[in-house]
Formats: sequence, structure tokens, C-alpha cells
Amino acid sequence: MTFEIAAGNHVHTVTVVRKGTLLQVAVGGRTMVVDARRVGDLALSLLVVPDGASEPVRSVDVALAAQRTAGDFDVHLAGLTIPVQVRQAGGFGRPKKGSAAPGTGPQRIAAPMPGKIVRVLVSAGDEVKARQGLVVVEAMKMENELRAARDGRVREVSVVEGQSVDAGALLLVVE
Amino acid sequence: MKKILIANRGEIAVRVIRACRDMGIATVAIYSECDRAALHVRLADEAWPVGPSAPRESYLRIDAIIEVAKKSGADGVHPGYGFLAENEDFAAACRAAGLVFIGPSPEAITLMGSKTAARQAAIKAGVPVVPGTEEPLSEQTSDADVLAVAGRIGYPLMLKAVAGGGGKGMRMVPSPADLPSALRAARSEAQSAFGDGAIYLERRILAPRHIEVQLLGDHYGTVLPFVERECSIQRRHQKVVEESPSLAVSPDLRRRLTSAAAAVARTVGYTNAGTIEFLLDTDGAFYFLEMNTRLQVEHPVTEMVTGVDLVQWQIRIARGERLDLDPESLLTPKAHAIECRIYAEDPDRGFLPSPGRIQGLRVPQGPGVRDDSGAYEGGEVPIFYDPMISKLITWGETRDHAIARMKRALAEYEVRGIRTTIPFFKWLLDDEDFKAARFDTTFIDRKMGAPGAGPLQIVDAAHEELAVVAAAVHLFTRSSAVVATSAPPVSVWKQTGRIEALR
Repeated sequence: MTFEIAAGNHVHTVTVVRKGTLLQVAVGGRTMVVDARRVGDLALSLLVVPDGASEPVRSVDVALAAQRTAGDFDVHLAGLTIPVQVRQAGGFGRPKKGSAAPGTGPQRIAAPMPGKIVRVLVSAGDEVKARQGLVVVEAMKMENELRAARDGRVREVSVVEGQSVDAGALLLVVE
Repeated sequence: MKKILIANRGEIAVRVIRACRDMGIATVAIYSECDRAALHVRLADEAWPVGPSAPRESYLRIDAIIEVAKKSGADGVHPGYGFLAENEDFAAACRAAGLVFIGPSPEAITLMGSKTAARQAAIKAGVPVVPGTEEPLSEQTSDADVLAVAGRIGYPLMLKAVAGGGGKGMRMVPSPADLPSALRAARSEAQSAFGDGAIYLERRILAPRHIEVQLLGDHYGTVLPFVERECSIQRRHQKVVEESPSLAVSPDLRRRLTSAAAAVARTVGYTNAGTIEFLLDTDGAFYFLEMNTRLQVEHPVTEMVTGVDLVQWQIRIARGERLDLDPESLLTPKAHAIECRIYAEDPDRGFLPSPGRIQGLRVPQGPGVRDDSGAYEGGEVPIFYDPMISKLITWGETRDHAIARMKRALAEYEVRGIRTTIPFFKWLLDDEDFKAARFDTTFIDRKMGAPGAGPLQIVDAAHEELAVVAAAVHLFTRSSAVVATSAPPVSVWKQTGRIEALR
């Protein structure tokens, strides 16, 4: 079974094949043998032996947490939290030619967490400067000011003061 | 006292329940709508609803809480910290209802709760204070008037809520131009957090260390101070790491600090647990900052180095017992303790709150580790309250030993499903200046704002690859497990029968 998995800035192609009670995993042009034991619904104990290597068997304790998008996980191992996105082979596609470079196009300011709109600091049509405060969201007793990433003009404001918003809700658009 | 109502939630409610259990006292929890399945509810002997999730409609509802106390037959009320812990009306309402409030008198709360009145009490006790306004500036005070007062004190200065605490309603003002916006923000935050928009001004000490003295006072005039705690590691004026003792405090300074703290408490006839906070300047001078008339979040570090159960003593003092602890032993730290406050915040996204369901939890264990937590696997971290989910405390023979144990414990600590500040502490504990205790209260903001400050968690290629392999193995074994169970299962009964037949 082959997966495409994005982690950090890379997309890795990983193939897993069963070999008796063990697994053979190919990744990044190398192969390793993995003894995997499930120790919880989303937890695994892995003993990893690099193929053909005389290195000692590495014990890796792994736990996963499913994220909101299907196939997205936080992988917890070695005291690190590593977000990964898993897709079936070909799932990530190829980058489109001529797509907008980062840092241009409208900025869609979304609520980073559920909370309440305490203040809207701009109105549609306002010119804003980079790092200028746009809207203040209160969550967990702290006020968080969301700012413009770049200079621009406010195209629309979708919320009013006092309104409760869910994580990911569109608050305003700056172009 | 036979039954105590805990007017709080989260880890501190759990902490108080544990002290009550240790003493054979029954416990009554209260809960808001979203806290029905919270840990403090599950651990208490009784639990009563007090209203909807918003604090104003539940944990701050004095009438509802007093009613539950009466109906449940509780004879004492422990307020924890936050919520109503420093609300004189609540303490007075308990008294009026014939309930023992486990804390200071309403009069002491009123007096020390006003930062300006507390400053005057310190001056009366002969303890130095930071130069600033002696009278509160109400919400009606015009910007121009505040600017005039500020000009007399000098910049940079601190703008603080009179009713404040926990860094809320507090702003640093570097120059006159920054004053109007800081004033607006501080007033609005103070109004929403404490229902009082009054503020005062204080000269800013440039590189102070935050040193505080825990004390206990009984009803017979005994006030005993404890060895100091250092809480200089702060983010947005909120303490995130606390330790005891402080490397910046010599035995001579300790004697002067603790005597000053006890003098302030005696001046106001203080009873029960309280903490006097000081700023320690680089030249060794110290200034009274404020008094917290409650149990502090960071009380466990003091418990670890003195062996005293502060919550138990709060209860014993409230029921009229004499404070007969050995004063010398309270000032003599047994080795070193350090605490990290674990918050449901994403440190790599500007510490944005990260509420939600805890899908998995592995709590550190082993020698020298204490975890005071309100979290459990499958539990929710609601959006309505403070995002602190746990306090991790380690004890070691030396500071280095305590830090090494903290690093070990943080590596074991796994909170899945939400983001926490654990990576932040790993970064901090590896910092050379932190390890050498070279810091002041501006340490975190300076270090994190420094040019070239990268992400807190650095994942190398090898670990990234392991994460990818783990995700693939997880999905592969999960799908093949489905295939495996579709094979006809061997009946356990048949197998047992066969074994029996062979006998």
C-alpha cells in the first residue's frame, strides 16, 4: 500500500508491505523493517531496523491525534509533535503553473479559534497598513488582535462586535 | 468542618478535593453547563450545577453558589484562585450565610485588593514601594489628566488595573504617544475581567526579578513567612515558570524579604494564606508590588521545598487551629523545586488558544515529579475559562537536578488533540541564560522577539521521516486489522473444550 504524506516542507512517498509478522517500509529510496505493535487506538510501539544495517533496533513510541481534516494527523514521537497530511498516491497533485506567488492576492482573515468579536477596528473601504490591527477576538479570557499581513484595502467585514464565531469563520477580507 | 464546597473548577478544584480527602472531609463540587464531565465533578463526593458556561452566569454567581452550599449542607467554602477568590462580597456572603470562608476576612480582601490601598499599607509597614499614583484613576479620568500624572512619574511606566491580577488589564507604556491606546486596552480588559475599569500608574523598573513570599496567618496573631519563590519567567505579564528558592536571593536578603512580607501582613491583621509580591532590582533593592489574598497557582513549589501542605493549613486555620509550624524550617528550603504551567495554547502560532477535546494523554511519572491537572483523556478544554490545563512540578537535590527531571517529565508528557505550551518549555529549559538563572521579568519577551528567533520546536529530517513512517504504518495496520477480523474467528469455547478433552 502506497501513501503520499506531507510533513514539514516535503511530500514523502511511503510504501508499506507485510512480511510475515513484520512490515517492510520503503521511504526516500531506502527500506526499513518495522515491528509494529498497537498499544492503543491511536498509539503504536515501533521497533525500526534500517534495512541491511547493523545499527541497533530503535524503539519509537508513537501516538497520533486526528485533526479536523480527514487524513491530517499530529504525530507525537520522541517528545515532538509533528503534523502530517496523508493522501492516497497522487492526492497532492502537481503544483499549478502560473498560480499566484505567496504574498499576493486578497488576505482572508479567519478566526483562529472559537471566540467572541470584541472590537472591529476597520470598516469596508478603509486603507490598512501591514501589521495594522483589524479585529480583536476574545477567547479564553485573553484578547487577541488579528493584524493585516500586508498593506491593502478592506473589501468586506463579515462580523460585528459582540458576535460569537467558530474557528475558521471568515471575519474580513483585505485586498 | 465536615463538608467543604469548592467554588472553582479545573486543576485547583481537584487540588482542594485532594486536600479534603486527606483530612477525611467530604467535598461538594459546582459546575457550569460545559463542565458536567470535568475532572473536579468526577472526583468530588457531590456535584451541583450552578448555571450556563459563561463564568458570569455560573462560577461568578455568588447567590447560586451560596444556595448550593446551604442545600448541600456544606459548612466551609474554598474559593481556589481566580473567579471569586478575591471577591470581598463573596467572602462576606459566606459569613452572612454561616459558612466558613477558607481565606482571609472580607476586610483584608477589600484592603489588599485595592492596589493603591495595599501600597499605603506597605508604606505604613515600612516596606518600600515602586513610585507611582497613590490614588486610583477612574474610568472617567480624561486622557489629558492621565498624561499629566504620567509625566510626573516618568516613562517607561506600567498601567495597571486597580482590581487587577494575572496580567490582565496591564500594559507597558514606553512613551506618551503610546498612552492613549494602552489606556483604552487596559480599561476595557479590566472592565471585562473584573467589572472595574479603574487603573493606576507605576514607574517601570527596567530589569526586575519577580520574587514573592508565601505566608500563613492564624487567628491568634501568628504570621509565618516561607522561603521565597521566583516567578520572573513571564509571558504577557503572566507567570509561566516558578521556582523555589531563587538563585538571586542570598540568606541575608531572604531574611529581609520575608520579614518585610510578614510586616505587611501583620499591619493589616492578615489571616489564612496570602502572598506578598516584590520586584527585586539589579542593585539588590526590593519594592512591594502587591499582595494576593488567596492561594497562588504556584503554591506547589513551596510545598515541595518545605514539605508543608498549604491547602490543608488553609483549612486548619479556617477552623480555628493554631499555626504551630517551626518558623525556621519554613525559611530553609529542602533542595529545589520548579513548576511549568502547561497551557492549551499553540506556542508556534503566537500562543493562540487551542481549546478542544484531549484525544490522548500520557502524564509523566517517576521520581520527583508532581502533576496537578484538571485534564483527562477524552476530556474537553472549554473555550470559556483560563487555558491552563496542568501544572508540572519537579523536585531535585539541586536546581540542575530539578531542571533535568523537568526535561525528562516534559519528554514523557503527551497531550494529543490540542496544542500545548510543552514545546515552549523544552526550548526554555535548554536556554543557557535560563540554566544559569540569568533572567528578569522581560526575559521571555526579549528572547522570543529577538531577531533570528526561529520556531520553538525544531524537527530534523530523521524525525520527520519517522513521523511519516508512523502515519503510514498506523493506516496500514488499521486497514489490515479490518481484513484480519473478517476471517472466521476460532471459538474460545471450542478451544477450551478441546483442551479439556485432552486431560
